[in-house]
Amino acid sequence: MGKPNDLVHGTLELSVLKTIAPEPKHGWAIAKRIQQILRDVLQVRQGSLYPALHRLEQKPWIRRRAHFYKFYLLIAAGRVQLENEAANWDRLSSTINPVAQTS
Amino acid sequence: MTWVHRLWLRLQSLFLRKGLAKELDGEIQFHVDELIAENIVAGMSPEEARTAALRTFGNATALTEEARAAWGWTWLEQLLQDVRYALRQLRKTPGFTTTVVLTLALGIGANAAIFALMDGLMMRSLPVADPKTLVRLGDSSDCCVNSGSVENGSYALFSTEIYERLKKYAPEFEDLAAMQAGFPYRPVVARRDGSQENARSVMGEFVSGNYFQTFGLRPAAGRLFSDADDVKGAPMVAVMSYEAWKRDDASDTSVIGSTFWINTKAVTLVGIAPEGFFGDRLSTSPPDFYFPIETHPVISIAAYVHDPDVRWLYIIGRVKPATQLGPLQEKISAYVRQWLKETRTFSSTPDKSLAEKTHVVLTPGGAGIQDLREQYQSNLGLLMGASALVLLIACANIANLLLVRGMRRKTEVSLRAALGAARNRIVRQLLTESAVLAGLGGIAGLAVAYLGARMLLSLAFSGAQTIPIDARPSVVVLAFAFALSLLTGMLFGVAPAWMASQSNPADALKSGVRGTTVGASLLQRGLVVLQAALSLVLLVQAGLFAQSLTKLQATDLKLDPRNRYIAHINPQGAGYSPRELETLYRTIEQRFHELPGVGKVGIATYTPLEDNNWSNGVQVQGQPYGGRDASFIKANSEYFDSVGTHVIMGRGIRTQDLLAAPTVAVVNQTFVKDFFPNGENPIGRHFGSPVPSDANGDYEIVGVAEDTVYTSLRWKDHRMYFVPITQRPSSNKEPIDQDLSLYAGALVLQTQWPVNNMEEIARKTLAEINPNLAVVKFQTFDQQIADRFNHDRLVAQLTALFGGLALLLATIGLYGVTAYTVARRTSEIGIRMALGAPRVGVIGMVMRGAISQTAIGLAIGILATLPCVRLVESQLYELQGVNATALTASVLTLAVASSLAGLIPARRAASTDPARTLRAE
Repeated sequence: MGKPNDLVHGTLELSVLKTIAPEPKHGWAIAKRIQQILRDVLQVRQGSLYPALHRLEQKPWIRRRAHFYKFYLLIAAGRVQLENEAANWDRLSSTINPVAQTS
Repeated sequence: MTWVHRLWLRLQSLFLRKGLAKELDGEIQFHVDELIAENIVAGMSPEEARTAALRTFGNATALTEEARAAWGWTWLEQLLQDVRYALRQLRKTPGFTTTVVLTLALGIGANAAIFALMDGLMMRSLPVADPKTLVRLGDSSDCCVNSGSVENGSYALFSTEIYERLKKYAPEFEDLAAMQAGFPYRPVVARRDGSQENARSVMGEFVSGNYFQTFGLRPAAGRLFSDADDVKGAPMVAVMSYEAWKRDDASDTSVIGSTFWINTKAVTLVGIAPEGFFGDRLSTSPPDFYFPIETHPVISIAAYVHDPDVRWLYIIGRVKPATQLGPLQEKISAYVRQWLKETRTFSSTPDKSLAEKTHVVLTPGGAGIQDLREQYQSNLGLLMGASALVLLIACANIANLLLVRGMRRKTEVSLRAALGAARNRIVRQLLTESAVLAGLGGIAGLAVAYLGARMLLSLAFSGAQTIPIDARPSVVVLAFAFALSLLTGMLFGVAPAWMASQSNPADALKSGVRGTTVGASLLQRGLVVLQAALSLVLLVQAGLFAQSLTKLQATDLKLDPRNRYIAHINPQGAGYSPRELETLYRTIEQRFHELPGVGKVGIATYTPLEDNNWSNGVQVQGQPYGGRDASFIKANSEYFDSVGTHVIMGRGIRTQDLLAAPTVAVVNQTFVKDFFPNGENPIGRHFGSPVPSDANGDYEIVGVAEDTVYTSLRWKDHRMYFVPITQRPSSNKEPIDQDLSLYAGALVLQTQWPVNNMEEIARKTLAEINPNLAVVKFQTFDQQIADRFNHDRLVAQLTALFGGLALLLATIGLYGVTAYTVARRTSEIGIRMALGAPRVGVIGMVMRGAISQTAIGLAIGILATLPCVRLVESQLYELQGVNATALTASVLTLAVASSLAGLIPARRAASTDPARTLRAE
């Protein structure tokens, strides 16, 4: 048996990194943005975002900045991670896509 | 840098946990509120909007938990939770908690106390610079001023001359220092110039000029010695110990440069040794003063300082870095061997093979001279063993108690498992409980250790002016005790926890109601058997040492201590030259006789049962020299009567036996038995030293005295002779001015009735004769004798203590298991009684279990005792093997104690009310 959680975690975390890459956002805004991306692909409860944010923060790939809202912003290590992950995904999907399409 | 950031984040999340949690809650709340608002905008009712929002968001509590888990401190929170829960559980069962904590405290405390002593005595270095590079020449504590050859060829004591030569010959040493071996036996009389106080007897050690430099010490005030101070004819100087400076001069620096009268010679104090430096060895009487070696002949009339055949110095050096000790040892041994062959000692002995055996063993010198260590080593080993056994018994006890508790809580654990608690969480919680218990036990154990070590020290050094060992538990001891208690707790917490985790919730819940688990497990019974066996070993050991002590104390010492007082004196320190002594002794006799109640006044070099011995080779005229020696005492005419020794043949020493009269001797019975084995009449025969050749006619035997015990009870067949104190045999060519053997060391005052203030009277009388006649030590004869039993008494007391502790713990263990068995079998017993079983039968049934375990334990214990006794035999006085008395007494004690431990639960079982237990079903 695989671990669907890992896939969910991985996808969610990658999405978070991607979302805040252009500019810092607060939780609610990140959730809205991710929902737009993932709505139909992945059934994720919006609340799952928070554990994911805390995990990313401990890695540490993102940093939190407290104004009135808590803004999350990408730091250097996170940017590297995002690029690596994105490249991985590209490779993976370019490998899988032909397979998936033939079946 | 990432790890720093990560660490920072981790710490932040640890210390700001509460704030972070609040922030997280705020964020989530905001998110949910936004969702609700969105839903309302979309046209839902507030109720619907809320429900929908929560559905979209997910389980907020679980998500919060998950987010917090990301901080990585969940384990800590769970641990704290477990600890809190454990403390609550322990508070609920105070009996159990107290028993376990006390058991642990005693077991660990006893071990840590002994370990603290071990640490203080065996492992600590001198408080000097870089003790690791210090090396001592020699591995024994030969004392104090010796001549002749060493039988096994291993040299540790050296003459001044060989020391001076080695210093030049061995450049491997950065510094090579020498120090007086026997300073505790030759105190000095000191008085500060201008002081109104009487002169006092204090400890002074003669050391080489580079002594302090070798140890890398800096003065607390003034200066320390240099090589220029240790030159013949140099101004006489002294260094004072920091302790003495603080005690006698209130750390006043004006004392530096002042004159002290040391043995009536003027000496200038040049400095104070550093704080904490107590000399080169652990001692109950550390030196107050240090003097250069070259002042020794002037201060103490010590001609031996420049006699190449007399060895009186220990040597410690600091080796240069990267010195190979093996080759250095060879080099020094060869040099000492070569040099000794040229001395008088070897050139005059026919046996050249002794010279070939000569060697010097290099030993670590960082701990200094280790004579105290040698003295206590075997006893400490014994005590370590005993305390380890006590700990083993304590562990068995704790294992048993935890097992019992684990089984009792089986139902609770099953219930928790049934309600969904994770198995590893339950195990962790049970282990936490053990660890908390162990921690509490460890803390209590430290208290026991601290008090115990202090008690041990005050017992071991009762009557000593300074306790040389620091009893404060060091970091090592603390770590030892804590590791020990945690190990014990965890080790014995694992078994019950594992058992609990193995239980099937359904089974346990069922059986918890019915109580079908019969009796205690094999493991538990095995532990009780082990405890009984171990405590028997300890009890037998305690019995043997008690017997040994009784036997020692019951020995006929062939003396009479009643109404006798011993004042140790130092006429040499008071400035008397050997020629003046005859007059001095006459005056002392006269003055003390004038005092009311004083009968005999004995004057002697030393007295029975004190830590002193002078001996000499003996050859009887007309017989070949058999290599035997004998101890000798020089005494006045009243000496025998003053100590209560009977002269059984011929005559004793008479007042007429003065310097000018023929030299005579009284010998003891062992002397007669050994030198005149065929029943010859010893009276009128002559004997003396085998060298020079004309010396064997020195003394005419005029009497025979009974075998009064000197030095030690363990010294059997102690040949002795007694000669008039002021006589010198004609073969003694040494100038009289250097003859130390004429100096008395003790006065024995025999009175008609007990005189409570005899010490005061003696001090006053002596000071009236000469203010410099200070009393070195004053004791009743009884006290002096009792001091010689200190060691044996200490060991007997401690083994008794450990035996008692073992007995107590074993009894508690047996009681615990029996009581538990009874509690488990209450319903069974109820049914038996309802069916007509008599009370006596029930008691018998319970007792059978208890007694059978004890009996097996005793059987194993008896077998185990035999080899154990062999280990301690050498420390016992005239006892060999396990003797019947000690064994019977121990077996009986243990049997009675275990019967009591079984009887209490048995009676409780017998008082079971059948009706009530049946109703409880």
